[in-house]
Amino acid sequence: MSGQTTGRTPGRRDVRPLRVSEVTVRFGGLVAVNRVSFTVEPGSIHALIGPNGAGKSTCFNAISGVCRISSGRITLGDVDLGRTPPHRIAALGVGRAFQNLALSPTSTVFDNVMLGRHALTGGGFLGHGLRAPWLRRAARRHADRVAEICDFLGVARYLHTPAGVLPYGDQKRVDIARALAVEPTLLMLDEPAAGMNASETAEMAALIQDVRDELGVSVLFVEHDMGLVMGIADRVTVLDFGRLIADDVPSVVQRAPEVIAAYLGVDDGQGQPAVKTRAGGGFPGTGGGNGDPATSPRPGRDGRAEPDSREAMG
Amino acid sequence: MSDSNRAAGDMVPGDGRWWRIGRVAGAALLIVVLLALPLYLPGEWLKVGTWMMTGAVGALGLTLLTGQAGQLSLAHGFFLLVGAVSYAVLSGPAGDPTYIGFGLPPVVGLLGAVLISGLAGAAFAPVSGRLRGIYLGVASLALVFLGFWLGRALPAVAGSTSSGRLPQPFSIFGLSVDVSRQLSSLSVFGVPLGRDERTWYLYLLLTAIAYLLAQGAVSGRPGRAWRAVRDNETAATVLGVSVVRVKAGVFAISSAYAGLAGVMTAWWTGIMKPDESEVAGSYGVTVSIAFLAMIVVGGLGSLPGAVLGAALVFGLPVALPLLTQSASADIGSGTAFSPIVITNFAYGALIVLIILFEPSGMAGLGRRLLGPARART
Ligand SMILES: Nc1ncnc2c1ncn2[C@@H]1O[C@H](COP(=O)(O)OP(=O)(O)OP(=O)(O)O)[C@@H](O)[C@H]1O
Ligand SMILES: [Mg+2]
Repeated sequence: MSGQTTGRTPGRRDVRPLRVSEVTVRFGGLVAVNRVSFTVEPGSIHALIGPNGAGKSTCFNAISGVCRISSGRITLGDVDLGRTPPHRIAALGVGRAFQNLALSPTSTVFDNVMLGRHALTGGGFLGHGLRAPWLRRAARRHADRVAEICDFLGVARYLHTPAGVLPYGDQKRVDIARALAVEPTLLMLDEPAAGMNASETAEMAALIQDVRDELGVSVLFVEHDMGLVMGIADRVTVLDFGRLIADDVPSVVQRAPEVIAAYLGVDDGQGQPAVKTRAGGGFPGTGGGNGDPATSPRPGRDGRAEPDSREAMG
Repeated sequence: MSDSNRAAGDMVPGDGRWWRIGRVAGAALLIVVLLALPLYLPGEWLKVGTWMMTGAVGALGLTLLTGQAGQLSLAHGFFLLVGAVSYAVLSGPAGDPTYIGFGLPPVVGLLGAVLISGLAGAAFAPVSGRLRGIYLGVASLALVFLGFWLGRALPAVAGSTSSGRLPQPFSIFGLSVDVSRQLSSLSVFGVPLGRDERTWYLYLLLTAIAYLLAQGAVSGRPGRAWRAVRDNETAATVLGVSVVRVKAGVFAISSAYAGLAGVMTAWWTGIMKPDESEVAGSYGVTVSIAFLAMIVVGGLGSLPGAVLGAALVFGLPVALPLLTQSASADIGSGTAFSPIVITNFAYGALIVLIILFEPSGMAGLGRRLLGPARART
């Protein structure tokens, strides 16, 4: 059992920087992430953006150890994540929510979120089978904390409902609750606002800021909603075709010609990208299927199935 | 297992107060009935009951593996054999010229048999950790054939096919199998406990232990890890679950359950001997499939479902002859419709019906019927 076994809300945590340096991930011949480097500073909100198929989720997979990196190094503080068995990474304080719902649909919300406590709890078949009193006491403490986290995410009323029957947005929240249940120092969210309407997106933005402000943790998130990204991120890293094309504060990234080109498909020299809505994964007015020869052959760049397209906050 | 199988047994803490009271009352009633039954049932019906419990122990193990952790196994028959043989060898008399035995106390033999079966399951980890679904099912089937071959090749261990070896009698707290050697006389409410009654209580004790252990694990951390591995291995890993270890572990646990069921089988049949053929017998492919049938009928992952499934699948073939005997003696004789054939048809048909109409088996049916009661406060 690690130190964070109490059910109490932990105060400031020992938050360390995440350094991604020269990381390359290959799938056969495809280079999904190509010598990418960036650093998530402790306590910062860091956005990872890019058109569909740019390699953002692959980056997340590399950090959380579920896909091997071909070269480069990923460190959290001074721990080399690439040399850590993937299931040990959670215990180092990395919590992650997924782009596609990855909950157990038949298990209750409580059970799903409680899974996040796996690395913080102990006991095997015999201990739990024999209902060892110390395990039951610990389980009650952890259950309280889970209820608290679910409350924070606004899903407490579903605690005993199977996760699979909840609306999409609530399932996303349960997933985030589960990532928080790990008691992370680095919280990774893959498209947390996907499928949410404008007001829900605003709530999500406030929630991410609350998590950072109250717990002092770093947040690394992938998001297509430029309003959300530019609104809350301290720093933005932009990927395109697996390469890093920008890494700076939002106001600079917003104006970087490479970024505009990546989203528009061509460099049209416009220095004023509107950052309000997303259509086809790009900036407004640049539907993926605009017949532009530069965009059309890109995989997954258009026709992306989104639960709903919406106006984003400004 | 496919995602459409709504696995039962994912704990839903009861909401209503009446639901909770009802559950406790139901459990108490069940315990009383199970304890009182031997006072009323004749011996041959008690034997039906102990056979059902044998099936229940095995089915509990398999529903943990297949229903909770999503790993298909057809090797259950093999691990039954490992358990039965281990018990026979560990507790067998030491100086026997024909059969190898260590002369250990039967209790040690029983625990050792469960442990050895579990270790045998753990030894299968390199395969069970890598394969899944039907591939694991087929790979595990190989173990059944291996067991069949080994059993015939090593008669000094597994007993000869012709005569077999006797499993040692067993007794704990006055509960026992084989009372031919008159143990201390026990009586309940003036009814002297005979051989079948004592066996009933022993089997009941073992089944209850197996059930309660499984229940504690399913509702706790191990169960959550199993379901996480079943539903999404990537997510499980990211949340700190070692998928390889969990898979190996649940396979070992399931095998240990099968091992216990194997010992219970050897006691029940009163003889330890290898099967006559790969498909039929006590430890063969048919038995493996029968266990799968139990957990599908009961609802994958559901512990009460596994017990009910076992009662049906193991109970029918031994109960039908008793029923037909008392009804009319000539039914079944000389016809193709032996009780075994009838049961095979019955549970074959039942599985088809369940897959068509109620994929969560009897557990799902139960939830549907009790659902309104549970929701009320
Ligand atoms: N397991 C895999 N095997 C093979 N190719 C993969 C695998 N995972 C991702 N890819 C490919 O790597 C590239 C990057 O995919 P990734 O999922 O990282 O994109 P993304 O930036 O997250 O896109 P989106 O915005 O659509 O989520 C894509 O071309 C994808 O097809
Ligand atoms: Mg992605």
